[in-house]
Amino acid sequence: MTAMISALIVGLIFGWLLQKSKLTQYATIVNVFRFTDLAVLKFMLSAIVVGSAGIYLFKDMGLITLPGNTPTYVWGNLLGGLIFGAGMAWAGY
Amino acid sequence: MRRIIDWLRAPSWSPYAAGAGLGLLSIGALLFTDRLFGASGAFENMAGSLMQVFAPALADNMYWNFVMPAGFSIGVMMLIGIALGSFLSALSSGTFKLRRVSDDQWRAMFGPGVAKRWATLFFGAILIEYGAGIAGGCTSGLAISGGVQLAPAAYLFIVGMFASGIITAWLVYGKRY
Repeated sequence: MTAMISALIVGLIFGWLLQKSKLTQYATIVNVFRFTDLAVLKFMLSAIVVGSAGIYLFKDMGLITLPGNTPTYVWGNLLGGLIFGAGMAWAGY
Repeated sequence: MRRIIDWLRAPSWSPYAAGAGLGLLSIGALLFTDRLFGASGAFENMAGSLMQVFAPALADNMYWNFVMPAGFSIGVMMLIGIALGSFLSALSSGTFKLRRVSDDQWRAMFGPGVAKRWATLFFGAILIEYGAGIAGGCTSGLAISGGVQLAPAAYLFIVGMFASGIITAWLVYGKRY
């Protein structure tokens, strides 16, 4: 139950941030692939930089264990990404 | 106080600020809930549930029983949160609007046809979900959740996503690229 409520709260904040940075709009998604609006890149890379710095800090302090649920399958990850990107540029979401 | 309320109600934030906010959220999520984000997996959980109702024989395999178990998962709850959060955000700035054809750029490029837009969305979404299924996650579940853990899978996925995204946009937009 607690897991459900915390997931809902995390989702709420996530959705709020996506909408505020206009990542919920067709033009924003497509234009990153046309190099006319790099909001998607700015958003993703800021999240990764801030997130990884904090997560590895707390991991070294022993407060966080990485879920580690992202196994590496080189061809799978790449192929999935290729299909995903085509859909993303086409649909715009 | 006034300044903070104005900022919360602004129609858009700097993507750097919102992205940094998502980074902080990922730290908080791991500290307090031991899990990160995901969106595409929830669709697979829900598809599994639908299949159990309408095609139980098809749903009875490794994938729906163990890899992506059918049912109302924590991920489905997060997906509801994401939709609700963007809805509240749009309400906060007064930009919420029900539309059948996304936005001005689409209309300028491809016309106001509703069927065309919805068909594009439908088939694009199939590619998105299928790609996410193969790769092991989507932009949130793999690229960002994996990226903050510095997982190689996330960066391979991002490379693939941008490579084909750029090519697709170039093909779709043609001369107007």
